[in-house]
Formats: sequence, C-alpha cells, structure tokens
Amino acid sequence: MNHSVLGFFPYADRLLGAAARLKQAGYRNITIFSPIPIVHEVDHVLGEKKNPIKFFTFFGSLTGFFFGTTLAFGTAALYILPRFGKPVWSVTPTVVIAYETTILLGVFATLVSFLFFARLPYYKKRVYDIKIGVDRFGLLVRAEEEKLRYVEEVLKEAGAEEVKRIYED
Amino acid sequence: MSNISYREVNDDVVRTMTETGRSYYIALSLCLVGIVITFGLPWVYQIYTGQGVTGLHSPAYWGVYLTNFVFWIGISHSGTLLSAILFITQTPWRRSIYRSAEAMTFFSVVTAATMVFVHMGRPWNWYWTFPYPNQRELWTNFKSPLMFDVFAIGTYATASFIFLYFGSIPDLAAVRDRVAGWRKSLYGALALGWRGTDREWDLLQKAYTFFAVFIIPLAVSVHSIVSWDFASSKIPGLNKTIFAPYFVIGAIYSGSAGIVTLMILLRKAIKFEKYITHVHFDKLGILLVVMSLLWTYVNITEVFTGWYTGTSYELESLSYRMFTTPFAYLFWLMIACNTFFPLLFVFRKVRVSIVAALLISIGINIGMWIERYLIISTSLPRKFLPNMWRDYFPSWVEISLTVGTFLFFTLLFLLFVKLWPSFSIYEIKEDIGIPMEKKGH
Amino acid sequence: MAGFLDRLLERFKIYREPGYYKRYDYWWAMVVDLDRCTGCGACVTACQAENNTPVVGEEESGKGRVLNWMRIERYVEGEYPDVKVKFIPVFCAHCDKAPCEVACPVYATYHNQDGLNVQVYNRCVGTFTCATYCPYDVRRFNWFTYKDKGSFESPLDEQLNPDVTVRTMGVMEKCTFCIQRIVAAKDRAKDENRKVRDGEVIPACVQSCPSKALTFGDLNDPNSQVSKLAGLPAEPYYLRESGSKLAKISKNPRAYRLLEDLNAAPTIIYLKRVMKGSSTIGHE
Repeated sequence: MNHSVLGFFPYADRLLGAAARLKQAGYRNITIFSPIPIVHEVDHVLGEKKNPIKFFTFFGSLTGFFFGTTLAFGTAALYILPRFGKPVWSVTPTVVIAYETTILLGVFATLVSFLFFARLPYYKKRVYDIKIGVDRFGLLVRAEEEKLRYVEEVLKEAGAEEVKRIYED
Repeated sequence: MSNISYREVNDDVVRTMTETGRSYYIALSLCLVGIVITFGLPWVYQIYTGQGVTGLHSPAYWGVYLTNFVFWIGISHSGTLLSAILFITQTPWRRSIYRSAEAMTFFSVVTAATMVFVHMGRPWNWYWTFPYPNQRELWTNFKSPLMFDVFAIGTYATASFIFLYFGSIPDLAAVRDRVAGWRKSLYGALALGWRGTDREWDLLQKAYTFFAVFIIPLAVSVHSIVSWDFASSKIPGLNKTIFAPYFVIGAIYSGSAGIVTLMILLRKAIKFEKYITHVHFDKLGILLVVMSLLWTYVNITEVFTGWYTGTSYELESLSYRMFTTPFAYLFWLMIACNTFFPLLFVFRKVRVSIVAALLISIGINIGMWIERYLIISTSLPRKFLPNMWRDYFPSWVEISLTVGTFLFFTLLFLLFVKLWPSFSIYEIKEDIGIPMEKKGH
Repeated sequence: MAGFLDRLLERFKIYREPGYYKRYDYWWAMVVDLDRCTGCGACVTACQAENNTPVVGEEESGKGRVLNWMRIERYVEGEYPDVKVKFIPVFCAHCDKAPCEVACPVYATYHNQDGLNVQVYNRCVGTFTCATYCPYDVRRFNWFTYKDKGSFESPLDEQLNPDVTVRTMGVMEKCTFCIQRIVAAKDRAKDENRKVRDGEVIPACVQSCPSKALTFGDLNDPNSQVSKLAGLPAEPYYLRESGSKLAKISKNPRAYRLLEDLNAAPTIIYLKRVMKGSSTIGHE
C-alpha cells in the first residue's frame, strides 16, 4: 500500500536539495509543487522531461494545412462559379487560408495535448495546499509505508517547515 | 522589485478583484448606459432604417466603420504580439504588463468584430460569411480578401483568447484558493484543478512557447490581410504593395501606444505603482520611438512611390489627402502626432514622465485613427472617373457608433479587471526572484 | 484506381486553366458609338423603367445616392467661347476580370455562362466591397427599402416590371444587360432548337436610343453587328488576356475601352467621337 509524505519549504534550493537526495536514494515518485515555474532547476534535479506536446502541435498544424487547402480547393470544385478570370483553383488565396488554418489547428492541438498530458481539467480532490499558490514550495513523495520514515527525516533535515503524511484510501 | 514579498503580490491582485469601490460601479454603469445610448440605439435605428442613415454614398462606400475596424484591429496588435516576442526573447519587464496587454488584444479584436457587423448592409445574414455546409450547396469565396479576414480574425481572436486564458491558469488557481462564495466555484472551474506540480509547470512552459511562436506570424498575417482588403483593389491611394508592412508597423505602433495609455490609467486606478514602474515606461518609450521612426519611413515611402508613379489618379489622390482642406489639416495633424511628438521620447526625462507619456501615447492613437480615416475617406471619393467624385463625411450615426466602440472596449476592460487576475501573479513573482536561502544560484 | 487518378488529374488541369470561359455559349457585349450619342438620357430613363430602379428623390440624389444603373458623364473643357462638352454613357462593363467578383466573400457576384457579371440579390450581405473595388463606380446600393419610402407609390407600382425583382435595403445592384430579356430570348431559341439570333436581344437602353448609338450583341459570333462595329478578328478571346489593348487588334480605329490600362478587361467597347482638333474623347 502506497502513501505519501508532503513537506513544505520556504526556499526553493532547500527543496531541490532534498529532492536530489531522495532521487539518489531511489525514490521515483517525486512531485514538486511551486508557486512559480522553476522548470529549469527541477529539470536539473529530476532529469529533463520529454516534450510530448510538440508532436501534437506538429500534426495539428499539418492537419490544419490540409484542412485549409481542402476547404478552399474542394469547395471551389464542388460548385464552380467562375470569377475574375481566374482559374477555379487559385493557389495564392488558398495559401493564405491554409496559413490561417495551420495556426488555428496548431493552437488547438497544443491546447488539447497540454490538457491531456497535464491531466487537466481535474475537479476531484487531490493532494494540494493553498500555501503552494502563495509562497511555499511543496515536495510530495509517494512510496511504500515503511520507506516514508526516511523521507520525513530527509525533508526535516533539509529544512522543511511542515511535514505531513497523507494516507490514501 | 525584489523587496516585495510573494504574499503581497497575491494580496494585491486578489484585492483588485474582490474590493470594489463606488467609483468602479459608477464607471461601469456609465459605460453601460453610454453603450446603450451611443451604440445600441443608433445601431438598431440603422438596422431598421438601412445603411442610408450613414454618410456613405457612391463612390465612398467605405467610411468610419471600416476606419474603426482597422483601428481596433491595430490596437490589438501589440498586446499578444509584444507579449509573445518578449516571452521568446526572455525580456524581464514583460512580466507585469503582459496580462492586461493580452486582454487588450482580445477585447479590441472583439470590438473590431462588432464594427464588421455594423458595417454590413444586411447584418442578419452575417453567418453567410462563414464556410458551413448548407442546403444551397454554396460555400464562401476563398479568393476574396474579406474571406481571408474572416479566417485571420477568427483565428486571431481564438488564439489570443487561448493565449490569455492559458497563461492565466496558475493565477486563476491562486485566486481560487483565496476567495469564497460564487467566486470560489467560478475560479475553481476556470482553474481546471491546477496544482502547480513540476509536471504541470513544465508542460505549461513548453505549450506556452508554442503559443508564442504561433502568435507572432499570426499577428503579422492578420494585419497584412486587413491591409489587403484595401491593397487588392484597383483604387488609387489603396492599391499599394507597401500596405501590408505599413499596416503591420502602424498596428504595432498604435498598439504599443495603447498599452502605454492603458498601463498609466490602470496603475493609477488600482494603485499598482509598485509593479508598473518607470522602468516599463522607459522601455516602452524606446519602443515607441523606434516604431515612430519606422512608421515615418514607411509613410514617406508610400507617399513617394505614389508621387513617383506620376499617374493622374495617384497624384490626385495624394494632393486630395495632403493639400486639400479639410483633409490637409488632418493629414498634418497626423504627421505631428505620429512623427514629431514621439521623438520627444528620445529624452529619458520625457520617457519616465507619466504625464508626458500619457499625452504622447494618446496623441499617437489619435494620429493612427486619422491615418486609417484618411486612407479610406480620401481614396474612395477620388476614384478614376471625375464625374463621380464626391467628398465623404460621417453622419451622426457613424460618429455615435465610433464613440460607442470606445465605451464598449472600456466596459470589457472594466469587467476584465474585476473578474480576471489582471496582473500575472506568478510572473511578477518570477520577477521578484526564486526564494533561495543561498543567493547566487 | 488508375482511372480515378486520371480523372483527378484531368480535373486538376481544367480547374487550373484560366481560360475556361472559352467554352461559354455567348459573350454579350455592348458597343457605344460616341459619335452618335447625343447625351439625351433616354437610355437612363428606359433602364430605370425596365429594371424597377427606384427614384430616390431630391435629397438623396444630392447625397450621391442615385440608383440609376447607367449614367451619362458630362465633362466640360475649356472656357467660353472655346468650349467642348464631352459626354460618355457609363454602365456596368461586365468585365472579364471583374475586380468586384473577387471582392465578394459570399459569391453574390460572379461570372455566368454567358460571360455576364451577375449580381445575386438574395445572396448579398452588403459588405460594399464590390462597389469599392469597381473602377467605374457603376454599382448601386439600396440604402433604404425604397419601396417603403414611397418610390413606387400607387399608381406607380402598376408600371413595375414583373420580370424584375424590387430590391430591399442592404443589397448591391447594378446593370444586368437586361438579363431578363436575354433569358427570354434564350428560352425562345431553345424551344426552336437554335442559337439566339443577332439582334434578338435588345436591352432597354439600346431599344430606347434614338440615334442608335448603342448596339448589343454576341462577340462570340464574328458576323454579329457588335463584332463588326468593334472590328474584332474572328477569335477575339485574347481580348481577355492581360495587357492586350483593343486599339492594337481592332480594325476599327475608333474602338477603345474605358480605363483599359487597369486590366479589368471590360466588354463595353466605345467608339471615339471624332471632334475637330482632338483625337480622343473621355478617358483612356
């Protein structure tokens, strides 16, 4: 049965030090809460994270490009209305339309993939404390119950103001 | 700024949202009443009676409505664009101004969109301009510059709203933690259950970079496309290849001036002097000088190439704009406002002087409005056949609706300040610095 | 699969070809002989009667909102006693490269199979873009519902043409070359299994012109009166190609097109007025 320990730190470097120690001791399930992005520093300790969003952005944009092209060419071919002495399929205006849809669907794909990978929106109760939104950094470690004592020790040693154990049911 | 504590930032931003003075309600109700009187009623009158209530005629089929449209699209061009550029270049002074600047973008796009519907002869058929499968089996004309507009502005409004909302998620979460009652459920829903874990921050930053990268070419394309509405015609004074860069530069110029005006008013109204400091106006002043020089250069190029063509209709349109009253007054006022006054910003004293910055930035936007007005109202009345030449002046309906757009924008912004964290809590904190026990990480 | 691809490629070729108009049945055009034109304005009146164009009244006319589909432009040159008055009837040129067609986002104006630039009133949303793009200023807008403003007060409503709609506010309109007469003639021709004969279609303006200054007909037919007057060779399609000036290919030295250098390829061909001491009339 896995449970968690959550410690609050006033200083980021303290928290990162504790996280590095725990990581070395073999703890895998470490979550760092912060009021501001400390992505670079966290990556330094926990290792750089993959960027799954970029593939979605890329394919979203690609879909957008084909959507725009198909829309402009396809609708022109569905109902042929000659105008301006131009061919039915004009390339230049299609490029403009495709340009806009590329960006539109690219943005959508980025947003959707962000929400998917960040597991948002999530409205059920999760481990959180309103102090995190203000000025405290939190370190959450999830492990088997017998290993948590060591975690608490490390956190306190590193200078955590408050350490609490969270039991899951 | 490093002497401000994190808690203070939260307190200050939440205070702007929860504590409402009487003057706010007065302003809000004045705006609402003003919109009904200057915008709602005249528009209903216009829809009921027809476009004949405007000052438009043949051949001046475009007038103040399109001036306002281009003006507001232009105002929208700095918020998101500047925010994206400064984000990518990691400029620190972006952080305390970008949220309201992005909101300004979104609201001015919305304001501009209302002008499209006001401008239409049959606005109840507005949905015909969107491509959707219908019984008539008739789609839209993708070769039309107006169709580009539909796509560009639709994409721009969507993307800038997503950009604005996306960057606000952590702040909405911070607000959610602090409020009670209906606000709790509202911001709880809006914050999407954000917790600020390392994974969420990581993805947020990565996705945000993508958004920023998308926004820059999008913003440039939007105003280029708006300029093609004019430039792809054959009309002297409009048919110019320089229009796309001219409009984009003008848009960024007027948008930056709009940011300066708005920031000065906002910091005064909600007492945020400690977050928006002289540093910001210093930098924005430099930006305005640069944009002013660029704008002047392109303006001179436009006039020069028009004159150099030597065709009778180009020359007529130029002399009509520059040397014929009453447009000559407007033209030279525009040159004064947009070319000469902003040059004062080269002096640091002027840049950091709030009063001077306010006056010059308002002047720039007056000048930019005149620019769009002149482009439309001095080109169309001087088309090719002199028999049809006829001056255009707006009617009271058009002037009233123009005033209405400003009130509409103000209303949206007032609501925004009260309902949304108008300053980025987490980025101001970033500006303060990450709290480290040992300094010099 | 291969057949499908072939068909697709074939279609692609057709859709990329700018000269699809070569397959048109007719190419309606007008020749205006300025030497014959007296500027009497009968055509303007006839057009108004035929096409249910409302009379807008003094005040609106003063604002530049006359709804006449055609107008006679008058230019006075010189000082008394050496005065030259020149006039030129201007109406929709049904340009082959019509700038208005590209402007409309909703396909309210397009080129039909007869080479006409047509306006679909029902489809129009009133963006004004077509009128703005038009170099000839021939498009007219319904600023109000003139029917409600008393333009066709009884008994004037008795003389409305049943073949033409009465437009309401918010739509653009313009000269149609009296398309209702063209359609009727084509119907008759179809019943008798033949093509429309030269001179069978007569728009209202042509019909009413006392000095026979206006001629209407099919440019596709090399023997038609308009082709002869315009002095065009048998295959006049390259008139529609960019940059070709009528004066270069026409056998008639008087033939020109209004604002030809704008490359809108108008199909109204003017024949210059021969005046003492001047070689041209109007605008070239």
